[in-house]
Amino acid sequence: MLEINNVSKIFPGQRKGLFGQAEGFKALDDVSLRVTRGKSFGLVGESGSGKTTLTRCILKLETLTSGNILYEGADIARLAPAEMRRLRARLQIVFQDPYASLDPRMTIHDIVAEPLVIHRDIVPMTSRQRTERVLELLLQVGLRAEHLFRYPHEFSGGQRQRIGIARALAVKPEFLILDEPTSALDVSVQADVLNLLHRLQEELGLTYFFISHDLGVIRYICDDVAVIYRGKLVESGPVADIFERPTNEYTRMLLNAMPDPDPDRSPFRTVASV
Amino acid sequence: MTLLDIKNLNLSMRSFEGETQILHGIDLKVERGEIWGMVGETGSGKSLTGLSVSRLIPPATGRYLAGSIEFEGRDVLKAGEKEMRALRGRKIGMIFQDPTTNLNPVFRIGTQLVDVALHAGHADPTVLGLEPGASSRDLKKAAKRVAVEMLDKVGIPKAAERIHDYPHQFSGGMRQRVLIAMAMIGKPDLLIADEPTTALDVSVQAQILKLIHDLVAERNIGVLMITHNLGVVAQICSHVAVMYRGRILERGLVTDVLKKPSHVYTQALLNSIPTAHTKRGELRGLGGVMPEVQ
Ligand SMILES: Nc1ncnc2c1ncn2[C@@H]1O[C@H](COP(=O)(O)OP(=O)(O)OP(=O)(O)O)[C@@H](O)[C@H]1O
Ligand SMILES: Nc1ncnc2c1ncn2[C@@H]1O[C@H](COP(=O)(O)OP(=O)(O)OP(=O)(O)O)[C@@H](O)[C@H]1O
Ligand SMILES: [Mg+2]
Ligand SMILES: [Mg+2]
Repeated sequence: MLEINNVSKIFPGQRKGLFGQAEGFKALDDVSLRVTRGKSFGLVGESGSGKTTLTRCILKLETLTSGNILYEGADIARLAPAEMRRLRARLQIVFQDPYASLDPRMTIHDIVAEPLVIHRDIVPMTSRQRTERVLELLLQVGLRAEHLFRYPHEFSGGQRQRIGIARALAVKPEFLILDEPTSALDVSVQADVLNLLHRLQEELGLTYFFISHDLGVIRYICDDVAVIYRGKLVESGPVADIFERPTNEYTRMLLNAMPDPDPDRSPFRTVASV
Repeated sequence: MTLLDIKNLNLSMRSFEGETQILHGIDLKVERGEIWGMVGETGSGKSLTGLSVSRLIPPATGRYLAGSIEFEGRDVLKAGEKEMRALRGRKIGMIFQDPTTNLNPVFRIGTQLVDVALHAGHADPTVLGLEPGASSRDLKKAAKRVAVEMLDKVGIPKAAERIHDYPHQFSGGMRQRVLIAMAMIGKPDLLIADEPTTALDVSVQAQILKLIHDLVAERNIGVLMITHNLGVVAQICSHVAVMYRGRILERGLVTDVLKKPSHVYTQALLNSIPTAHTKRGELRGLGGVMPEVQ
């Protein structure tokens, strides 16, 4: 469904004087991967290794330095604006930062309804139907009707994150990019959201591109996983293989660093008054 | 003297439809040398509790119905704004859950770190490694050095170069680490960390936990760490409090609470963590264990 071929992305360096420019920063270095329809693809890796940059490339918010990205066989760099707009209705994203990604001047209702308005030619609805859909979505992610006309600043981190998820689901996309979608949720709400995503996948055949630092979550929700380190893909394959038999040194290190919820296994347990 | 003593804190927030009580009698003591974890439901009032300690809830929206927050014996809810400014960033360090409250998009990362270091250095030059009464030239030089050092300590590669970047040139986790660096520069006596490692991979996370742990060991400070990650609590915290709908349901030593939780909510939380053997779709969540309290 999605094919990423030898993608590199270099951010230009600081300008130095009138003509000079510092060396650029290579955020992605020859990355190739494939996402299968109806499956969940997990991307894990070091903080600052290029995960968010890759999602921005998929959405054409950044231009590639080299390589190409194919969606159902079509090179997204060559899509005409009208075609790209149609694609954007099928391809939604939950942004990483729940604080920066919600417009502070819009009510929750308008934020979640926005994609329905933008894509009204594709999903025609009366404004009444839109409000009903928004309400249905809010309930699905564990928010309530009384939240409809509040503004983002009145919500906690985890509540904002769920608003972002509701917005991404609004137009019933077929492909969902989730950039750390549960990082601000307590584990019980996280379980509900993961189960909701799983159910939607079973019912509607959604495809997920899931970025998370929580390896337990990746193991739970994903079929395949890729590990990225300093812009390079170091390992990829079925979740069971990578978690049981990692071949890469960095992957092994990550797996070992997973914090165990058993206090007796803490490396620091000798500290403080304990 | 107790470092932080929150007594019967009751807070209500005003919004469009009226006033809702959010905190219902929070009691919490943090002594020096203790690392308290605060876990619990999203929206239960953890961040508002943390913000209250630095008195950062705008008086126009928040109202304290009852209670006090004593920092080294002084009630911060009654302190003047000038006194609070001297405490914030110096005696009370805060890592915000919302990075936008503390990172200004139009200034370089370095400028912002140096500002914080200077603010702390003016109050107490020793935090920058200087003698009391150091000249402002020395302060400026030391502030720059400390800013790079801190950025390096939180694991930003090539810190001396990247200090010239703007916030949008940093990844989510890198921005979060800038906030951690900012909160630690002033060598606070109390560190309030609201979800400090959510955007970090596990190995950088371990590095940050070590940093916090060492700060406690070296300077005998107290920490209040708000997090959803029970693994993090198990690793670094000495104590933990479990919040639900504006109340603390259960508290105690981490070794007790996480190993033998006495409240069903805590048990449900522990059961909600996916393990290597959980099949997809079978994670339980709360599953109705909490009767509606409202
Ligand atoms: N607009 C930009 N200009 C310059 N450098 C950038 C820009 N955007 C990102 N970078 C750099 O590219 C690298 C990758 O950033 P990216 O946001 O993709 O990381 P990430 O893997 O999502 O990290 P995290 O897990 O911390 O969110 C980082 O070093 C970052 O500083
Ligand atoms: N400015 C505000 N006006 C009105 N209500 C607010 C405001 N800020 C927060 N609230 C409400 O107060 C409650 C507690 O919010 P708080 O941010 O403390 O939650 P939290 O425990 O930190 O949650 P999370 O884990 O999701 O960050 C939430 O239900 C939220 O909707
Ligand atoms: Mg990112
Ligand atoms: Mg919070």
